[in-house]
Amino acid sequence: MTLSTALKTGDLSALPSRRDEDWRWTDLRGLLKVLPPASPQGRAWFWENPLSGTLDMTGGVVNGRGPTDLAVDAGEERFVGWRFMSATDATAHGAELWVDVGEGAKLTLIESYEGRGTGYVSDVAVNIRLGKDAIVERIIFADDDADAISVVTADVALAPGAKFAQTVLTSGARRQRIETRVRHPGAHAEVRLDGAYLLDAQRHADLTSVVTHGGLDGVTSQLTKGMVTDQARGVFQGRIVVEKGADQTDARMGHHALILSDKAEIDAKPELLIFADDVSCAHGNTIGALDDEVLFYAEQRGIPEAEAKAMLTVAFVCEVIERIGHEGARDAAAAWVVRKLGSEA
Amino acid sequence: MAAVKETVETVAALEKYEHGFTTEIDQEFAPKGLSEDIVRFISAKKDEPEWMLEWRLDAYRRWLAMDEPDWAKVSYPPIDYQDTYYYAAPKSKEGPKSLDEVDPELLATYEKLGIPLKEQAVLAGVEGAPRYAVDAVFDSVSVVTTFKKELAQAGVIFCSMSEAIREHPELVRQYLGSVVPTSDNYFACLNSAVFSDGSFVYVPPGVRCPMELSTYFRINAKDSGQFERTLIIADKGAYVSYLEGCTAPMRDENQLHAAVVELVLLDDAEIKYSTVQNWYPGDPETGKGGIYNFVTKRADCRGDRSKVSWTQVETGSAITWKYPSCVLRGEGSSGEFYSIAVTNGHQQADTGTKMIHLGANTRSRIVAKGISAGKSTSTYRGLVSAHPKAKGARNFTQCDSLLIGKDCAAHTVPYIEARNGQSVFEHEATTTRLSDDQLFYCQQRGLSEEESVALLVNGFVKDVLQQLPMEFAVEAQKLVAISLEGSVG
Repeated sequence: MTLSTALKTGDLSALPSRRDEDWRWTDLRGLLKVLPPASPQGRAWFWENPLSGTLDMTGGVVNGRGPTDLAVDAGEERFVGWRFMSATDATAHGAELWVDVGEGAKLTLIESYEGRGTGYVSDVAVNIRLGKDAIVERIIFADDDADAISVVTADVALAPGAKFAQTVLTSGARRQRIETRVRHPGAHAEVRLDGAYLLDAQRHADLTSVVTHGGLDGVTSQLTKGMVTDQARGVFQGRIVVEKGADQTDARMGHHALILSDKAEIDAKPELLIFADDVSCAHGNTIGALDDEVLFYAEQRGIPEAEAKAMLTVAFVCEVIERIGHEGARDAAAAWVVRKLGSEA
Repeated sequence: MAAVKETVETVAALEKYEHGFTTEIDQEFAPKGLSEDIVRFISAKKDEPEWMLEWRLDAYRRWLAMDEPDWAKVSYPPIDYQDTYYYAAPKSKEGPKSLDEVDPELLATYEKLGIPLKEQAVLAGVEGAPRYAVDAVFDSVSVVTTFKKELAQAGVIFCSMSEAIREHPELVRQYLGSVVPTSDNYFACLNSAVFSDGSFVYVPPGVRCPMELSTYFRINAKDSGQFERTLIIADKGAYVSYLEGCTAPMRDENQLHAAVVELVLLDDAEIKYSTVQNWYPGDPETGKGGIYNFVTKRADCRGDRSKVSWTQVETGSAITWKYPSCVLRGEGSSGEFYSIAVTNGHQQADTGTKMIHLGANTRSRIVAKGISAGKSTSTYRGLVSAHPKAKGARNFTQCDSLLIGKDCAAHTVPYIEARNGQSVFEHEATTTRLSDDQLFYCQQRGLSEEESVALLVNGFVKDVLQQLPMEFAVEAQKLVAISLEGSVG
């Protein structure tokens, strides 16, 4: 049941629906009654990202067409940008990216999802392999069109001692799902999976993750923060699996979200599936509104309500941004958040 | 410290499952299997009016069209619904008029289980000690209900469901199936078709029920299932505390227990519902036998400011599939769920709660503690949702899991759905093992390993035990210790 299968076969019944437990809050079958035609070739545009000038390399994929492989040799250090662009209206395309990071290598990957068309359907599959002691930091800027349907699925496999960190920043789409599946070998490997969603109008974003600990001594830290307003809907599904024998696993998951309107919705399912006894796992989930007293204080100091709300939301989401390791990327992420909230305010 | 000592002594003194005996008693059965005829047979046995039979038949027809749910994290071989007795009752010419007419074998059974059926026996305790009215359900029928007269003086109706259908049809018709509709789920639908006995409670407006009410469910007959139905109505400003206990004999075959419990709360009413579930959990070594406990429990807080509290201690049954829920409809109504689920041997428990906030300023609180040992699996599955109209809704959820041993599993699957901007939801969950440091500390002070585990586990579940009525709390504490017997070393 995937969008990818439906796009390849043209079979609408292959689309996931709310009857599929993992898609209960992100229904595609109910939304897509007809599959749009395949996307034609499209043309790239200038990348409005402050990091674009500092990268070692940029890969551009337009309407599903472009490079599919990224390899970083053992011991190398690379700072790479990868753009997935959707350029046409009401068409569908799929793309793949294979990332192979050699032993001891380091990769900072800035991945962007940009929509210039409207109402497109985009499906991207990313595969990331990390060699022993490799380090990957993946930062995703998702700026899809408000009427788009976009699914990004990443499969990540780590070798012992590897470190994988990810931060997703998204403003949603008509239906958007960013899913990350991590195979965690334990063995002193570390995983950090963070995300922030800022949704307005009728946008929807679904951040789903599955981290499977298969061996001793693994660490996972997860923090997702979100804000929804108007009629937007935020979905967080986090699952941490600790397999039998994966003792001394230390896994933490946090999801905290703000609802700023009575018509907005947040659905969360933070799951722990534990099959080993010597573990320390925890998750926390909070959903609420901005503190009225703090808002009142800000307004009392002469800050208009909308501005005060934006300020407080920036402060709320900041914790996710501060965990980004790459300095340049951190600044770019902070700027992205301010821009999103600024335009909203 | 005294209580812990008591627990430890109990562990040492008792066999693994003390209620596993069978009572040799002359019983009558409905023919094995399930069909419209069986439904008619049960209804006729209970001398039910036509409307009740129609209700059952409608449920049966709906059930035929339903599929058995498979989403819970439990696994068991397919159940042959035609290989079970749906009605089993101790033989008697007519319903006993008083305790003296009840079969002495039955009385002995309840005595052995520690259930006070004789009113004078209950009274003979320490002066001022709390009293309990008991409805004793043996397989498919209610054997006896105590203190009925005294309760009637206060206006409280406490009787078996069959009696309620005969004596108070207007109340039953008004409320039966109004909280858990016939086709709510597969097992509730099956129950609606074949339910036998259960308790019926009605507390009139403004009445605080003068004593604790309790029902004791006992499965005895081989190859039979128990399908009891309980309906409790707390009218405006009423209060009642209700306790439920259950046991079954040790058998190699699995037996089905599919009950439905409906609670109705009107304005300012309060119901406290406590369960100590101690069904036979199956053989700890092989996993053979044990009860399949597939139960639907739901409270409907219809009235403003009504309050319901579910407290459950689960140590028994081979498989538990149970989610006591609260529908918080009335403004300012509140729901609480306190649970301890202990699994050992090959037990599987998928349990939790649903807090559905529909009214403004509704509040809910969930404290769930799961302890897994042996080769067992324990899953907390919960839903907290706030409707757009549930402005000012608040929920706090805490679920902690404790793992003892290498082969057990503990899962936490919470669902949170917030649909308005003025509600606050907090949820936290942890999964850990018993701390080596704490175990070492206890053993260093002279406690054995088993005693240390009992002490630490009692500390872990203390928050929930505190919510139970006194007598139950002591029993529950013992049960927790007994259930974990053999889990160390």
